[in-house]
Amino acid sequence: MQRLYDSMEPRVMDEDMLKLAVGEQGPQEEAGQLARQEGILFKDVVSLRLDFQNILRIDNLWQFENLRKLQLDNNIIEKIEGLEHLVHLVWLDLSFNNIEAIEGLDTLVNLEDLSLFNNRIAKIDSLDALVKLQVLSLGNNQIGNIMNIIYLRRFKDLRSLSLSGNPIAESEDYKMFICAYLPDLVYLDFRRIDDHMKELAESKHQYSIDELKHRENLIQARLDDELAQQMELEKHKAAFVEHLNGSFLFDSMYTEDVEGNKLAYLPGVGELPLTYKDKFVIICLNIFEYGLKQQEKRKLELDTFNECIKEAIQENQEQGKHRIAKFEEKHLLSLNAIREELDLTNIEVRIVEYSEDITELFNVLMTLEMQLVEQLEETINMFERNIMDLVALFLENVQSLYPFLDDPPMAQCRDLENHHHEKLLEISINTLEKILKGELDEDLPEDVRALFVDKDTIVNAVGASHDIHLLKIDNREDELVTRTNSWCTHLVDTIHKDEIMRNRRRVKEINQYIDHIQNELDNLECGDVID
Amino acid sequence: MEVLKEKVEEEEEAEREEAAERGEKMMRPLETRREEPPMTQEMLRDLEKKLSEIEIIIPEQPLIVTKDSVDISKLPLSYRSNTLKEEHLLQVADNFARQYSHLCPDRVPLFLHPLNECQVPKFVSTTIRPTLMPYPELYNWDSCAQFVSDFLTMVPLPDPLQPVVQEEEKVPPKKYAIKPPRDLSSRFEQEQNMKKQQEIKGEKEKQRKEEEQRLLELEKAKIDPLHGLRVHAWVLVLSGKREVPESFFIDPLTARSYSTQDDHFLGIESLWNHKNYWVNMQDCWNGCKDLVFDLGDPVRWEYLLLGTDKAQLAVAEEEEDGMNDDEDMENLGKEDEDKSFDMPPSWVEQIEISPEAFETRCPNGKKVIQYKRAKLEKWAPYLNSDGLVCRLTTYEDLECTETLEIKEWYQHREDMLELKHINKNTGLNVDYFKPGHPQALRVHSYKSMQPEMDRVMEFYETARVDGLIKREETPKTMTEYYQGRSDFLSYRHVDFGDRVKKLALNSAESNPRPMVKITERFSRNPTKPADEDVAERVFLILEERIQLRYHCRDDHITASKREFLRRTEVDSKGNKIIMTPDMCISFEVEPMEHTKKLLYQYEAMMKLKNEEKLSRHQAWESELEVLEILKLREEEEAAHALTISIYDTKRNEKSKEYREAMERVMHEEHLRQVEAQLDYLAPFLAQLPPGEKLTRWQAARVKDECLSDFKQRLIDKANLIQARFEKETQELQKKQQWYQENQVTLTPEDEDWYLSYCSQAMFRIRILEQRLNRHKELAPLKYLALEEKLHKDPRLVDFLKVFV
Repeated sequence: MQRLYDSMEPRVMDEDMLKLAVGEQGPQEEAGQLARQEGILFKDVVSLRLDFQNILRIDNLWQFENLRKLQLDNNIIEKIEGLEHLVHLVWLDLSFNNIEAIEGLDTLVNLEDLSLFNNRIAKIDSLDALVKLQVLSLGNNQIGNIMNIIYLRRFKDLRSLSLSGNPIAESEDYKMFICAYLPDLVYLDFRRIDDHMKELAESKHQYSIDELKHRENLIQARLDDELAQQMELEKHKAAFVEHLNGSFLFDSMYTEDVEGNKLAYLPGVGELPLTYKDKFVIICLNIFEYGLKQQEKRKLELDTFNECIKEAIQENQEQGKHRIAKFEEKHLLSLNAIREELDLTNIEVRIVEYSEDITELFNVLMTLEMQLVEQLEETINMFERNIMDLVALFLENVQSLYPFLDDPPMAQCRDLENHHHEKLLEISINTLEKILKGELDEDLPEDVRALFVDKDTIVNAVGASHDIHLLKIDNREDELVTRTNSWCTHLVDTIHKDEIMRNRRRVKEINQYIDHIQNELDNLECGDVID
Repeated sequence: MEVLKEKVEEEEEAEREEAAERGEKMMRPLETRREEPPMTQEMLRDLEKKLSEIEIIIPEQPLIVTKDSVDISKLPLSYRSNTLKEEHLLQVADNFARQYSHLCPDRVPLFLHPLNECQVPKFVSTTIRPTLMPYPELYNWDSCAQFVSDFLTMVPLPDPLQPVVQEEEKVPPKKYAIKPPRDLSSRFEQEQNMKKQQEIKGEKEKQRKEEEQRLLELEKAKIDPLHGLRVHAWVLVLSGKREVPESFFIDPLTARSYSTQDDHFLGIESLWNHKNYWVNMQDCWNGCKDLVFDLGDPVRWEYLLLGTDKAQLAVAEEEEDGMNDDEDMENLGKEDEDKSFDMPPSWVEQIEISPEAFETRCPNGKKVIQYKRAKLEKWAPYLNSDGLVCRLTTYEDLECTETLEIKEWYQHREDMLELKHINKNTGLNVDYFKPGHPQALRVHSYKSMQPEMDRVMEFYETARVDGLIKREETPKTMTEYYQGRSDFLSYRHVDFGDRVKKLALNSAESNPRPMVKITERFSRNPTKPADEDVAERVFLILEERIQLRYHCRDDHITASKREFLRRTEVDSKGNKIIMTPDMCISFEVEPMEHTKKLLYQYEAMMKLKNEEKLSRHQAWESELEVLEILKLREEEEAAHALTISIYDTKRNEKSKEYREAMERVMHEEHLRQVEAQLDYLAPFLAQLPPGEKLTRWQAARVKDECLSDFKQRLIDKANLIQARFEKETQELQKKQQWYQENQVTLTPEDEDWYLSYCSQAMFRIRILEQRLNRHKELAPLKYLALEEKLHKDPRLVDFLKVFV
């Protein structure tokens, strides 16, 4: 990799260099004059060329936010870095450098054309973020493993690839292999792949490709599944009843319950949790379904509300637009009339008339807006009440405040737990008595047996287990309630805020427009005075 | 009269499917034989006497056939004479008529046996002959009736009161029916303004009403004297067969169907089909509304033949108003008749309609129908060289002198012209085109074909690359509407100024009108933000001003605007001012930083300048296109070529030629095959005893014989040619001798004759020589070919193989 300019000092990408480049490559001639007058901001630059500059390190590019095309070829860059902010980059040329690994491209999601020709790259990777990649040039590198090509299968838009000059390109099967594994490719090493070649390659590598495809499909299917599950969970979360469609809550009650697990060894206790669990799960399922149903209702309510609001705003906007259009027609006429009017007094009169028109337009628009604000206010309040009611109803029914359902489910849970606790206690005490009497024939594990020292211990143990269970139930309930409430308040807040924002924007818009018209008129007056 | 009668037959023909079939099917078994009233011999005799006394006024069919193109002598015998059975039937009919006129003296004589084209009386039922035609269109009544009405021409009778046809009464356009006067009283009191308007309206209404009244009077006056006196024949289709839900009438001349309740039909005298004849016995005081079409009911329908069918059939008949008393006259002399007497077969020939005639439809391919204030002309396709098939002319007045508008329908035009609509009042012409015009023209409305005048052209936008839907032109403007363009242009309006005077000829090509203003509108481009998506741009070319209006954001009510003044000025030092802030006035809904920059504005302006050039160019091209279309239209009008379907084997010359060539090839092929199939062996095999299998020896002999025979024939042929050759040569020599001997005394004519003879003889000799040579060459080949063929002959192959 001996280069002619290796003898030169490596240069740093500093402000001067960038300015110079921008100035040279910016607009020319008349536009150039203007550009020089005003100066060019780095963030307005779309395309930048920095070739043959002997640059060693990419730096100071963070200002070029809107850069689309960047050429850094024929330098002595060793590492890809400093490109994180150039997210709009479409075209990146890093050919003829000394890069050893592909890296630092993870933010360039819009990149379509990447050239890394003539570098020292040994492995193709770290390109995952470049989903739009169409042209990839990796010729004259040191890629040695042909299986590395399979990595490129993920780029669905890749049409042109060059790999000549790599060790893999020397293998006989090189072309066939690439054609077979990248069937969507159109150009290889800047030559069009003919259909015959494609067919040949396909038949040659059919088995391995089929296998590969199969594996890919499996992975894809798994990903899809996961995604679907994730979506489902999200949906449940939106309904605040996630994990209630199974034994999750019940299981969690027992995970931290040391005593409870120990007590499960007692004779007769084994069957208890089973029936208990069944009942518990059924109640959870009830809550779950009810939650989903309520969620549907809330969603419907919200949708209707949004739709109505949108319609109202739309209608109002139409009215406003209509007014403005009418005004503008007149406006053109009056402006022309004023321009052409010669008599000064007439001008005065017309200007006054015109100003009145403007004021009237302003008033009309503002009235419209205020009307809308009032209307929306009312609707929003109504919606707020309704959604609050809905949420309250939901919570009440889930909790136990009012027996709206046959039996509030959360209360049922507690009842069940209490019932279970009593039974457990009874069994425990029975067992204790048996143990004390020495009638117990079954073997109990040592730590379980340790509980049955005296009555207090066992009662405490059972009590502790019961407390944990209740705590879990309470926690779940609290979580549900707080999240529901916070969702509700958040929603209402957002709606209010949005409405205020909308109102502000509209008022600002109207003012701006009126100012503009007024300005035009004033300018006219000034002009007349000058004339 | 011929025509008319033919018409009736035709009619019946047309209805044949329904009628005849239905007749059979609908036949209901007569539940009750009619009770024969007790009649004594006395009464009978009495009646007979009475009857014979009556002077019957047999309707002397007075309609002497007008000059006729039909050559009577060529008609079959059945046209010119009556069979015995027909004579008998005529007697029966006469008898029937006699009794009828006796019993119903008030009623008009029956239409029973008019004279046919050969002046022979024929019973009406026998003029009907059910025929099945090979055209699917004739299978259903509506298209069939349409055909009949087209195919026949109405010739008015000299006397509309004589029994045949009068149709006039039926033309029922109710266009000017009087509207009920408006009730103005309630509004009258409400508002002064309203009242006035209403008054004016009322006045107008009144005037119009009076006018209408007057017009109506006019028409009425014309109609009145003959009302109810005309006779007419039409078709009745009875319900029943072929899913006809209820009976209805068809008027054969207009092909319209009418309900039997229709007001225009005032009554029915009699009806007939090819099997029987019925006289209506019902009271027609209320038109045909109360008639019951149960032909099996002898009280209502008196039949002429006590035949097989009393069921219901389709019938033509005469109508007359003065139908009144239907006295009881059942069994009127019926018992005299032989009960088994049935209708003789029809004497008319089967109707044949050739495909040409069927396509031509109307006599000579042309038909004119006169309506009130309108005239409809129809032509057969391809009859007119410009493809005109139909023309409707509407008139302002009843006399049809002031043309109001003309509509012309075309078919098979190469330029896809479908309809031409000419409004004489406004002078507006509208041409409608079917898809496929070279310029994708759909509608072209214009007052004159001169360019730069008022015109509207509409296009099939999907067929055009530029998506143009419509182009409207006035002398000073041009407006274009687009759809589905990739640059979202939807509208372009160009204002033209006055043309700069030049000596050269003025036209859009050489001296285009200067454009003053171009307005372009764009629909929303969803990929751009609204603030950068131009909704309207106006190039004020003379003022050097460009106005832009952007699309409105979804949640906004104002849209950004920008105005560029592209006047290039020079500053105090003489330097050109490139861009100053006051050259671009903009209003932005949401002010952005980069748009404030002069550079941005400068670039935008440069771009707009280019686009202005482009727009001007496009407008200019549009003008050129208009010229081109106009030129093309003129050419098309002048050429008016017609297209011929490739399936139209008669008209399509190319396909005809091709077909004929194919036929010729086929024919030749056939000949060759016949030759090839010539059995050489047949005469030799015939010599052998039949039915026996060939022996090997026999086979060999057959083969040898065949070959030697063929050889002999070849030699004979060679000899024959040789002989002729020698003969010719000898004769020529003789002539030459004769010539040399008489050379001196010969007249020039003789010499000429001799010379021509010589050249002919020489020619013959040469030909013979050639043929001989050819024969000599080919003979061995032919011989070998035959031998080869015999070797392969399936009958001999088994035996000959062995030798090979």
